[in-house]
Amino acid sequence: MKRRIERVVVVGADAPAWMAAAAIHASLGGSGVRVRVVELPSRLRPADCYSALPALGGFHGRIGLDEDLLLRVCQALPCAGQRFSGWSGASLSFIQGYDQSPPPSGAALSFTQCWIKGRLSGLRTPFESFLPGAMAARAGRVPLPVEAGELQATYGYNVDAGAYSALLKHWVTRGGVESKAAAIANVEIEGDRIAALVLADGERVEADLFVDASGPEAVLIGRMPAAEFESWRDLLPCDRMMAASAAPLHPCPSFSQISAFRDGWLGFFPLQDRTAFVASYDSRETSDKEVLESLPILANMPVVGEAVVSNLAQGIRKRTWVGNCVAVGEAAFSLEPLDAVQLHITHNCVSQLMSVFPVEAGNFREAELYDEIIRRVAVNLRDFQMTHFKLNRRFDEPLWDRCRDMAVADTLRRKLDVFAARGRVPLCDDETFHEHGWESLFIGHGLIPQSYDPRVDAIPEQELIATVQGRLQSVRALAEAMPPVGQFIAGTAGARETTSSAHI
Amino acid sequence: MTKPLDIVILGGGTAGWMAAAALVSLLPANGWRIRLVESEEIGTVGVGEATFPEIKSFNDAIGIDEAEMMRATNAAFKLGIEFVDWGFKGSRYIHPFGVHGPAHMEHIFHHQWLRALQAGWNSEIGEFSFAAQAARNCRFQFPETARASIDSAYTYAYHFDASLYGAFLRGIAERRGAQRTEGKVKHVVQDPESGDIRSLLLESGESVAGDLFIDCSGFRSLLLGERLGIGWEDWSKWLVCDRAFAVPTERNELSPYTRSTAMQAGWRWRIPLQHRTGNGYVFSSGFISEDEAATSLMQSLDTKALAEPRMLKFQSGRRVAAWANNCISMGLAGGFLEPLESTSIYLVQIAIMQLVPLLPEKRIDPRLRDEFNRLMDLQYERIRDFLILHYKLTTRDDSEIWRYCAAMDVPESLTRKIDLFRHDGIIEKYKDGLFTPTSWLSVFIGQGLIPENYSPVADAISEEKLISQLDEFREAVRDRVDEMLPHDRFIDRYCAADSAA
Repeated sequence: MKRRIERVVVVGADAPAWMAAAAIHASLGGSGVRVRVVELPSRLRPADCYSALPALGGFHGRIGLDEDLLLRVCQALPCAGQRFSGWSGASLSFIQGYDQSPPPSGAALSFTQCWIKGRLSGLRTPFESFLPGAMAARAGRVPLPVEAGELQATYGYNVDAGAYSALLKHWVTRGGVESKAAAIANVEIEGDRIAALVLADGERVEADLFVDASGPEAVLIGRMPAAEFESWRDLLPCDRMMAASAAPLHPCPSFSQISAFRDGWLGFFPLQDRTAFVASYDSRETSDKEVLESLPILANMPVVGEAVVSNLAQGIRKRTWVGNCVAVGEAAFSLEPLDAVQLHITHNCVSQLMSVFPVEAGNFREAELYDEIIRRVAVNLRDFQMTHFKLNRRFDEPLWDRCRDMAVADTLRRKLDVFAARGRVPLCDDETFHEHGWESLFIGHGLIPQSYDPRVDAIPEQELIATVQGRLQSVRALAEAMPPVGQFIAGTAGARETTSSAHI
Repeated sequence: MTKPLDIVILGGGTAGWMAAAALVSLLPANGWRIRLVESEEIGTVGVGEATFPEIKSFNDAIGIDEAEMMRATNAAFKLGIEFVDWGFKGSRYIHPFGVHGPAHMEHIFHHQWLRALQAGWNSEIGEFSFAAQAARNCRFQFPETARASIDSAYTYAYHFDASLYGAFLRGIAERRGAQRTEGKVKHVVQDPESGDIRSLLLESGESVAGDLFIDCSGFRSLLLGERLGIGWEDWSKWLVCDRAFAVPTERNELSPYTRSTAMQAGWRWRIPLQHRTGNGYVFSSGFISEDEAATSLMQSLDTKALAEPRMLKFQSGRRVAAWANNCISMGLAGGFLEPLESTSIYLVQIAIMQLVPLLPEKRIDPRLRDEFNRLMDLQYERIRDFLILHYKLTTRDDSEIWRYCAAMDVPESLTRKIDLFRHDGIIEKYKDGLFTPTSWLSVFIGQGLIPENYSPVADAISEEKLISQLDEFREAVRDRVDEMLPHDRFIDRYCAADSAA
């Protein structure tokens, strides 16, 4: 007799565990699936901050979490993009925003192709000046949806990691998910399935499906057969991370700042009550002590409180679902804390899990499909992050010289080649970042296409100039009409309503 | 400015004139030269009378007025394809050009439908498709574009006379500056070092030189296959049909769908146009003789034949590279997939529309060529798998071809898709390539593959509530279809051809 999955146990701590529980409960709670969280000790330190993609707003809509609450209790700030500086030598910094203008339908010509022709014939205006997300970020404004507009952008968030995790926990347990704070004493494994978890207090926890949301420690999947960790150290060079805080910034920017330095990069993530810092670096090139000493200089502001160091290990589990144990978030794969992907890794894994949720307890034929999808998601994101390093133009610094010479996977090779040749992005299946994201990434790092779609030449010169200038003006006008961060937080109620309804 | 190219198209069938019309319309008027070489002595295949909805975006991109095109080609609308006797004898389903269930529920609808089915609430999945019901009832209207509603989540294609479509495009191409050269190719002149094609030497003695050559020479593949030696990948072990007889008959009911009826050794099409009905029998010579096939086609006609049946020979497969040197194949010169899902013209169109943004400069950039070839491979392979699915998913054992197909090994990519659906009702999405999950769903279910399980996500509401929601939606589809104009009256008002009876 076939039996449905009835008991799901999520193991982990902090936001990833609660996100997983919330999503499963929201999708399947009504179908009789009971979710229980075994809450491990928090891994968070006071300085930690989550930088999140706009998709997190969609997740909140799905679980019914209001944006107001997020802004009120998590020291959260909207974030229109990431500003990269110092990555490409002397060339200017660039902002990677979250543009959402619909891509041209079918084979229609994109504005990017027009810009390339302009650029190749001497246009000096940078690409980002034509993008509403980047321009909003530059102006310290929050890109809200524009009614009936072709040009659209949106925003993600920076949130205090501890406060956000507490909010999610409250939200999830209030919604009826049972949880227990515990340490795991033993994992009883029979063949390729988990028979039970034994908690420190002696309780045996059984389940139809165990969800490992324990982050890089991978307390469950890490013990499963054939799920070894496959390191991407040779592709993403940083292996140490330092988190710290500084005073809040005034006026408050609507972007995160990511600055390259000799041995890695330094991120600034504005929050309401402070600025969170993250330094990510290569221990072959520098020491924790050296980074700690140079942090206030690099950041150009004094560090407040303690700086905390941890290891980074980018890579993926050889199998992300074994038997009745499925890994989500950083238990499945981990990347640099860059491009606001941390929470997205969990969010994405959990969404994929919902789309292939097992139909039968004890018979997990969905595992292979899940694993393939997760690997594609991970590789696409890894390729995206690698591009920052691969395209760097910091010469005579060993880390950066090495990164330029890195071998890249076929998927990224193709993107780099086709973009360099013609300014098109051959997207793969299961991409997190779409055309706009990759285009601004490549162009921002100085990869200017060598040619453009010949159809651009069919547009008369005057018309093309008018198109380019018109777009520049529309984007500028759009950005000016958006609320500054302060005003957004202070909350003209009308503005808030527009945003939250647009996310649901 | 990009340096303009001289582009030479060899072959004036549907593919050649589609390419000429599109290139001359999309590329700058200044400097670019589009020449098409064809010979009146060489016939064209021109059987593909049924199209896929993407054709509309092609026509729109090159600025073709729909009603004018339809008048000129005796065209009618098409909302899907009806498959008769495929999964088993007596079965009948429509693969519609639109979703099943409410558009915003697309990812979960079929799981809900399965749940109701398992609970004993019987219904046909086609009853939840607006496009399928409109087709079934011979009605038509344009999709609602202003708001999301039952009648907005579908698209449509055309049935038309492909040779008239070719002629219509020729008119456009020539008016817009494409140059036609009459003549047969006597010799292809290549660069001795690179092997690139430099010119076509015609029997008249004229030499047609170019930077880029588009091979639309049909099955012969005169440039890419014969001259550049690009090999052929044979797919006939999966798609065994290798012949077709085609015959036009008098017009009958103007149904807005193609009908494909499985036969003793293949399948038969029925394509209603304004002035006649196109019919054909696609068969495998390994399973039936040509004479028998012709006879059974003629016996199956529902109206009077207007000509003798004409036979075509083919083999399913494709050239291993669509683009080599400075030569790009389109249409039959690059590959052949039987017209079961009306993809022949689509494959020409997608080749053109993927080539234009990647057109090389004078010197061929291998990065652009490789990307074009990759995209075309995906197109061919995904359509191939979808076609094989129709043959593989059959329980017919009344003739040898069906027994062969039910037992044959299919590509791994397809086996996996079938298994996923059989067990879980999961349909994987892909980014590049035709056929969305909704198409796969129609064929899976239509041919009798009912998943063993549905997603637990469909259990979120009570059974009573689910069934009443399904019932309500089905009712709403029916009501909306009842309000529509009959297809033939719609055609009369919108685009009646002068010549149509």
